[in-house]
Amino acid sequence: MALNRRQFLIGAGGIAAAATTMGLGACAPGSSGGSGSQGGGGGEGGKTSLALAWWGNPTRNKNTDAMIAEYMKANPNVTITGQPGEFSSYWDKLATQTAGGQAPDIIQMDMNYISEYGTRGALLDLSKVDTSKFVEGTVDSGKINDKLVGVNAGINTAVILANPKVFEKAKMDLPDDKTWTWDQMIDVGAEVASKAGVPIGVAQLINSDTLFGAFVRQHGKELFTPNGLGFDVAEAQAWYDFLLKGVKAKAFGTPEQITEEAAKILDQSAIVTGRGALQYQNSNQLLAVSNAAGQKIEMLRPPSLAGKATERKGWYKASMLWSASAKTKNPDAAIAWINWFANTPDAAGIDLAERGIPPNAEVLAQVQSKFSPEQQVVAKFIQDIKTEVGNTPIAPPPGGGTIAELLSRHGTDVIYGRATSADGAQKFVTELKSNLQV
Amino acid sequence: MSAISELSTVRRAKATTPEEKRLRAKEASRDNKAGYLFLLPWLIGLVVITLGPMLASLYLSFTNYSLIQAPSWIGLDNYTRMLSDERFHNALKVTFIYVFVSTPLQLAVALVIALLLNEGMKGLPFYRSVFYLPSMLGSSVAIAVLWRQMFEVDGLVNQVLRLFGIPATTSWIGDPQWALWTIILLHVWTFGSPMVIFLAGLRQIPGMYYEAASVDGASRWAQFRKITLPLLSPIIFFNLVLQIINAFQAFTQAFVVSNGTGGPADSTMFYTLYLYQRGFVQFQMGYAAAMAWVLVVIIAAFTAINFFFSRYWVFYGD
Repeated sequence: MALNRRQFLIGAGGIAAAATTMGLGACAPGSSGGSGSQGGGGGEGGKTSLALAWWGNPTRNKNTDAMIAEYMKANPNVTITGQPGEFSSYWDKLATQTAGGQAPDIIQMDMNYISEYGTRGALLDLSKVDTSKFVEGTVDSGKINDKLVGVNAGINTAVILANPKVFEKAKMDLPDDKTWTWDQMIDVGAEVASKAGVPIGVAQLINSDTLFGAFVRQHGKELFTPNGLGFDVAEAQAWYDFLLKGVKAKAFGTPEQITEEAAKILDQSAIVTGRGALQYQNSNQLLAVSNAAGQKIEMLRPPSLAGKATERKGWYKASMLWSASAKTKNPDAAIAWINWFANTPDAAGIDLAERGIPPNAEVLAQVQSKFSPEQQVVAKFIQDIKTEVGNTPIAPPPGGGTIAELLSRHGTDVIYGRATSADGAQKFVTELKSNLQV
Repeated sequence: MSAISELSTVRRAKATTPEEKRLRAKEASRDNKAGYLFLLPWLIGLVVITLGPMLASLYLSFTNYSLIQAPSWIGLDNYTRMLSDERFHNALKVTFIYVFVSTPLQLAVALVIALLLNEGMKGLPFYRSVFYLPSMLGSSVAIAVLWRQMFEVDGLVNQVLRLFGIPATTSWIGDPQWALWTIILLHVWTFGSPMVIFLAGLRQIPGMYYEAASVDGASRWAQFRKITLPLLSPIIFFNLVLQIINAFQAFTQAFVVSNGTGGPADSTMFYTLYLYQRGFVQFQMGYAAAMAWVLVVIIAAFTAINFFFSRYWVFYGD
């Protein structure tokens, strides 16, 4: 045998070194993405430069680029560099940039993350942005400790989407969403699934902290209060019992189908592929779902406990918000851009309802005629539910963003019978409490 | 070093006079300088890209660090918290099952295929490439996505089972009982790199040993046990060490198959995935750094154990 110990060790070292080098090589293209576009610094020849980061889809990227171009045309002394991204990696990158003191000046923000940044002083005070024309209930969600750090970029609300073709196949009418209860949703889901011969009646419930939030509010509680957790084990257990009941009634699919469905991207989800009749989504996704399904999709209100839509305590959700870095060198320029986005038809005329329905009522009135048919439906829906809206939920405190993952994980244990609903609820609440940093 | 020394004007003979000694020392220091200069690019890379961040992460592991605010010193708190962190224990369990099931299986498959390919068949380069292909693709995101679709309720695997009349309704990736095993299977499937190394090792075993054994009437099995295995043992050891280290660091497959959640119900929550979640999802980079250091210790321990036991079964030719 030609290989002796020394040769072996040298060989091992060589391969290890090669592996390391390859690892480094692989890292390079990914990491180079962010650093170059850091404008940050102030005036070269009186010019102000801003970096603007957002996550999105091809349509949103196109709109945002167009808005940036439009803004720079109107404000020749400002240079904006765009940093588009994709939702899941966006947060890794933003956290790393912030840690390195390199956060973009203008940041597209999400409700689940705003307090992580806001309570730690990473976000600029935006009280100078004019929100006086905003529809009631659309400003407060961007406040952390009474300070405005996120400006609503578009109104959203939780809805149940329905695939009318599946209902036709089952020879059923769409349910009356003004009177339906949670239990009736199970009945409808079970009936339509069995009559139409599809595996899933209602999809995407397992990880919906939003619907769970609606459920909790109807029980007279909140997900979060300024003091921490706003609900008890009892409400969580009631929710898990509801999920179990739906699984047993064959309304939500088998546990395996439920977990599988939860990991799917929108384009492959049950309502798009026609394997499901109903599905939880946010209202601004109607257009994307309709496009992916290539057919008309209907939008329904989430159910209520009392069977009365006016008592369902809905709310306007910020589909996303605009924040600015506390460390920006050009705070006034950043605020000016956010102000422009929020309050001018120039910006809204380009972005339309891509980021949700514009919260500024006057701006909405000026641009609504340009909306696509689906966006018109959403705008009308947002208007229609005005009387069903309760108080605005506060942003989840730091650590609260984990609620969806925890709700889903312990819920999975419950529907697989690995835990009772009482145990699952207890563990969910205990773990969430320990995650909260209030 | 030796190539540079040959340029030296000083003779190799032992230095005797103080003058010669001084010259020799100067010479040596020049040699050293040149050596370090050649080392420099690698050294800078090591210090700046590897060592620096490693030391920084060691410091961070003793702090409460949210990424957004400056770290604050909390001593050993992160480490003591791990003792009572049930999800951490679960992540350890999942990772250990993964490492100690998939590594031996993968090496066994790699060895068997290498033995078959070593028989000198027609079209060997073609087969070698075909068997190597999965390991080029296996850690890619595309394959993990494909894997997810193959093992769904109505995925390819169940469709094939149904062709044979088996009423397969299990979701292999959706059921917490099975999800980890689909990822283990994916790992075993990527046996290409150890296979190529085995193949190279097999090629180095002189054919005359087998000829002699055949003349003495040794069976194929006896030849495999008495000739192939001992002579291949350094290669097996090498593969074992590398693959265990690799397996402990598995991330991509679990991340993609479970959409970054480690689900269903934490059944594919690998150590590295949990570390990532703690650091980037829950903003607990201090805890994540502590976890990374515990992983370093675990991997070092297993590598040391491997080297310790190697003296009992690894046979070096000389």
